[in-house]
Amino acid sequence: MPKPWRGVAYLLDGLLTALATIVLLPVLALPAAAHAWAERHRRRAGLLLGVTVPDRPTPPAGRPWARWGRDLLWAVAHVATALPLGLAALTCLGNILTATVSLTLWWALPPAATPRLLGDIPVEGWTVALAPVQIVVLAAVAWLGGPPLARAHARLCLAVLSPSAAGRLTQRVEELTRTRAEALDAHAAELRRIERDLHDGVQAQLVAVALRLGVAGESLTGAPEGATRLVREAHEGVEQAMAGLRAVIRTAYPPILADRGLAGALTALAAGCGVPARVHIGELGAVPVAVETVAYFVVAEALTNAARHSRATSAEVRVERVGAMLSVRVTDDGIGGADEARGTGISGIRRRVLALDGTVQVTSPPGGPTTIAVEVPCGS
Amino acid sequence: MRVVIAEDNVLLSSGLELLLAAKGFEVVATVGDGPSFLAAVTAHRPDVTIVDVRLPPSFKDEGIRAALDARRLRPGLPVLVLSQYVEREYAKELLTDGRGGIGYLLKDRVSRVAEFTGALRRVAAGGTAMDPEVIAQLLVGPGRDPLSGLTPRELQVLALMAEGHDNTALADRLGITLNAVHKHIGAIFAKLGLSPSDSGHRRVQAVLTYLNHR
Repeated sequence: MPKPWRGVAYLLDGLLTALATIVLLPVLALPAAAHAWAERHRRRAGLLLGVTVPDRPTPPAGRPWARWGRDLLWAVAHVATALPLGLAALTCLGNILTATVSLTLWWALPPAATPRLLGDIPVEGWTVALAPVQIVVLAAVAWLGGPPLARAHARLCLAVLSPSAAGRLTQRVEELTRTRAEALDAHAAELRRIERDLHDGVQAQLVAVALRLGVAGESLTGAPEGATRLVREAHEGVEQAMAGLRAVIRTAYPPILADRGLAGALTALAAGCGVPARVHIGELGAVPVAVETVAYFVVAEALTNAARHSRATSAEVRVERVGAMLSVRVTDDGIGGADEARGTGISGIRRRVLALDGTVQVTSPPGGPTTIAVEVPCGS
Repeated sequence: MRVVIAEDNVLLSSGLELLLAAKGFEVVATVGDGPSFLAAVTAHRPDVTIVDVRLPPSFKDEGIRAALDARRLRPGLPVLVLSQYVEREYAKELLTDGRGGIGYLLKDRVSRVAEFTGALRRVAAGGTAMDPEVIAQLLVGPGRDPLSGLTPRELQVLALMAEGHDNTALADRLGITLNAVHKHIGAIFAKLGLSPSDSGHRRVQAVLTYLNHR
């Protein structure tokens, strides 16, 4: 369809939908229906204007009516503008049709059915000559006036329905929250893969090399001192590499977490801690690996602090799911006065937790007790 | 000495076979997962077994489970568990039946051929061989009951016992006489309340107490 006629078609569609809007008014009392109806027109307006129309933000939970008012406002504006514009377009097209019919058939029609042109002019005698004039004029009006009017209406539609600045921000925050959760999951999956690859690949190869160097060293009795020394140094070098690699893996993604899951890993941590520690683990549901890893390090760090600095005689670890958050709480009965500025322990906890958009609360009055409470969102 | 190996990584199992053959052990079977390990143990009745912690299908702690299953099937079956990393939890689980014949070492230790074969023979003879790193994990924090009654020297002796060293090795390492070692061990048994009539291996019981309370 040539472009100008798309404008006219848009206006005619507007006429029909404006009438439908009036008829459907009771249905628009449902926010979802009003939303769907408004969305149809946003897409249509976007299509006409050649712009992409991004989805509007979903209203915040608990406020399903936030968007509804705007949809209704649009419905009123739509009826008020699309109805007259659509009628004008229909008048143009209808009269072009009448004039065309008159021009071709006027001589054959009985006098009682004399067709009339725009302006209530009966087609008889010399007025037949007006028909082509009207066709040309009306076509020119539709051709030239239709597109700008249609575009104006489309812009009005988008303007009324475009999200507010606050709405756009809300949408952006939702997007970022979701993509961050995805990035975290991807990161954790990557850590797990690297741990597995190192375990099956590099670590195994190093063990195999060390093993052969060990056997070689044993069979080198009587060999020149230089050769024996080189083999021994190579052997020691490989052993250091294995120890280093093991330390790196332990701090990146503790193998016990991979083997036993969060509950098993925390129980092992508490059992290996310098102070007697009780562990309570509630129903956790699905916890992203990144969050599990952070929970593990928080507990490890807190228990280490308890054992090293607090002179505590007992500690308690409590991990539970509170809504969308994983809550980790480590309490010890030590002397308190934990100073974030002094050790790197608590600031390390804070860094890891903040990276996951979580919160850290340290309560450690002089004389104790010390409580480190961490909440981390479990993704989207 | 007849050995069954459960290790899915061919590089490592072939290395182990090479080493053990060179040292006069006879590897009667090398298997890649838990169920075939149990089958091989039943079929070959080995003198000692070597099990990797991570085995198929999930590559988590199947090796520990396989070792415990095998020892339920054949109580006291000597098992030396190898791993890329050691966890005291696993050590405790392995030792809980109190029967001895248990080793738990980092794979790194395999390349110290003499020490490794020594540990393997110790395990085969019903002793224990704990990785120094397991012991190191236990040495953090203050001691508590019932170990708090032990003197620093006795703790040292107990730690070396936990690693699996026999009395002669203990005397060598600490630079004391065999007699002194006997006295320390007697004191440790007494303080831990392990009488000679106790069922189970007294040395293992002492090590277990150590693992549980450190």
